[in-house]
Amino acid sequence: MLEIKNIKENNHDILLLEGEVDASNSVELDSSIQQLSEEGATVILVDASGLEYISSAGLGVFMSYLEDFQERNVKMIIFGLKEKVHQVFVILGLDKLMNIKKSKEEALEEVK
Amino acid sequence: MIKLPNPNIGKVSLLVAILTWLALLFVDITRIFGIINQMESGVSPDVSFVLEIIFFITVYLFYNYTISKSEDNDFLNLIWRGASTGLVASGVSILIGFFYSLLGESKLASDLLLKNFFYHVNFALITLFLISCSLLWKHLILYQKSKNVVKQWQLFEILLLVSMFFIFFNKNSLDYSFLFGLVILTVFSISLSINLKWIPYLTFKEKWKSILFLAIIILSTAYLFGQILRYSESDLILVNLTDNLFLIGLFSFVFFYSLFSFLVTLFNLPTSSVFEQKLIEAINFQRLSQSIKPGQNENQVLDILIDSSMSAAYADAGWLEIKDPEGQSFFLHERFVEKDSTHQLYRHINALKPFSNFDWEKTGNENIIYQGRIEHNPYKSALVVPLVINQKTLGRLYLVKEVKDGFNKEMVNIISTFVGQACISVENYRLLNEAIKNERYKEELKIAQRVQRSLLPKTLHHDKSFEIAAFSVAADEVGGDYYETYPLGPRKFAIIIGDVSGKGTSAAFNMSQMKGIFHSLVQLNPSPAEFIKKANSALGLCLEKNHFITTSFYIIDTDQKTITYSRAGHCPTLYYKSAQNECDYLSIDGMGLGILRSGLFDNYVHEKTFVFQQGDVMLLYTDGIIEAKNESGTEFGYERLKTVLKSYCHLSPKQIQEKIISDVYQFIGKTAIMDDDYSMVVIKFK
Repeated sequence: MLEIKNIKENNHDILLLEGEVDASNSVELDSSIQQLSEEGATVILVDASGLEYISSAGLGVFMSYLEDFQERNVKMIIFGLKEKVHQVFVILGLDKLMNIKKSKEEALEEVK
Repeated sequence: MIKLPNPNIGKVSLLVAILTWLALLFVDITRIFGIINQMESGVSPDVSFVLEIIFFITVYLFYNYTISKSEDNDFLNLIWRGASTGLVASGVSILIGFFYSLLGESKLASDLLLKNFFYHVNFALITLFLISCSLLWKHLILYQKSKNVVKQWQLFEILLLVSMFFIFFNKNSLDYSFLFGLVILTVFSISLSINLKWIPYLTFKEKWKSILFLAIIILSTAYLFGQILRYSESDLILVNLTDNLFLIGLFSFVFFYSLFSFLVTLFNLPTSSVFEQKLIEAINFQRLSQSIKPGQNENQVLDILIDSSMSAAYADAGWLEIKDPEGQSFFLHERFVEKDSTHQLYRHINALKPFSNFDWEKTGNENIIYQGRIEHNPYKSALVVPLVINQKTLGRLYLVKEVKDGFNKEMVNIISTFVGQACISVENYRLLNEAIKNERYKEELKIAQRVQRSLLPKTLHHDKSFEIAAFSVAADEVGGDYYETYPLGPRKFAIIIGDVSGKGTSAAFNMSQMKGIFHSLVQLNPSPAEFIKKANSALGLCLEKNHFITTSFYIIDTDQKTITYSRAGHCPTLYYKSAQNECDYLSIDGMGLGILRSGLFDNYVHEKTFVFQQGDVMLLYTDGIIEAKNESGTEFGYERLKTVLKSYCHLSPKQIQEKIISDVYQFIGKTAIMDDDYSMVVIKFK
């Protein structure tokens, strides 16, 4: 089960993820990011504090936007990752490429 | 033992009847000779009466047999049989009368012998006609059998049988007892004559024909009855065979039933078409409800639908509008309208209220029927019924008529039933097709599964310095886990384990790409880091944007007793060091293949070498094992795997693998569904 909420806070787009991202619902995550990207968002904050699990298909969604966002200068920051989920990012090496912050404050600091 | 011949009742009774009639003739002629020659023949009238009764019974048996045996028992045929017998009997009687009128006052005209001979012929024909008619009526009366009617008929037959013997008491005099018997038979005949349930099943044309035949029967009956009365008044007849209660009773029965049938059929004529229509509707309904047979398609059901609906509503024109899966409307089965005028009429109808209220997207369309007036020459009223399958509107049925308010409640009801049934048939057909398709997909997946299993190695290369065991199982029919070994030299082996992102078919395809890349690159004898870099650049060209592959690549050199490895985003390998009796994950940085598809990737590739010792165990696995969850949502996890390996490290690789897998299964519990692929390779050094 995955629930995605799109919140606008102080001009920032925050994507609130809750539950688990797996092969069956990774498309929803993809379309949410796609939508923000099409709306011209320059900063996308992903609140992953409610994320219990992410499968390879879910990681693939984040991965697929890396190059595109870098070219267009779009900042995507993930924060609040649980230790277990963070570990998945680390093992895959995605922590080296993605902007991962511990907390929302750190993430907001980054985009000031 | 003498074999008794199986008697044919029809033939036997016919033969006996003819013989009886001849005997009757002979007895009477003997009596006449006796009178002419003034001799007492000594034959009492009772002999004639006994023969007469035998004749009646055998004729009755004969007709009962032939009618029940006859195959062609439709109503019209039955009535025609009666009418034709009546025609023959009256015809012969008329001919005899004509013959006598030719004779005039000649001597022959008053000849006793000739007169009596013709009387016997007439008697026989009248008996045949009456008995055959009665039995035909029996057939019609018992068309819709009920216990009461059958009982009534049986009682009537008994009464008839009794009436045959009445002659012995009554001696041919028209007294009160005769009249009493006749009244009873007549009352019974009339009460039987109300059983006319066969009439509504005749079509309009058949009704006309049956009216004609019944008229023939009535006229024949009346004429023959008159004939009998004339005979009984004549004094030339010695033994009166026809003033018999049985025969007169039959006259009354045949006459009343014919009369009733005649009148009822006549009055049924105007409403005949309604019954016919209902019958056609019932048949159409049955045709619609029969599921579509193999080789047919939805079109045939829709074809029956428009025909049935048009005939039910007496519509002057009609067609179907069907939406194809792309949402394009097209017309189907146009009846009595030209293509161009269909479009004009279609636009005209849909611009008018209430037809314009229709909404394709709305649910519950199946309960809405649109009808109203239109002004499109020559059509004045229209009816539109939506075809709805599974809450989705598939199309619409259009019917138009040249009269105002041409669709009454009954028509609308029957048409909506037709439409409902047609929709069910179409839905069943689609479901069946889908089921067949799914079955085919399943077969295809089974093939894919076989192919993919063959991509995993059957033999694992090693030498006497280490033992190796491997295991893989997919959550779906096909999976994305991969492992393989390759001998780089006599004492040098490459080992790879990989996991493709996603699962199912797409993962399986990417896994086979990985296998191809492994086999191409390993030929070049690369170092683990080189292998990972080259594999990334190769995969970067062929993997979809959001797919990646994690892998670990090992080179075991049993001469040097070294292991060199590199990790590309794959789960860190678990290593048991026998010297320290400790398990640990081999930590090294690395990024999954396909994540970064530029040259920058090479910066993230690392390589390490270490020395192995006897008793060391290396466990390569995929993330399915770590992420295996039990009912409460807890993962198997890295720590548990560590503990498990340590406790089994003294076993052989095959045993270790089996123990770990059984521990994982035990952990997730029987009810849990496996939702990822599990694979592992266990190596133990000697």
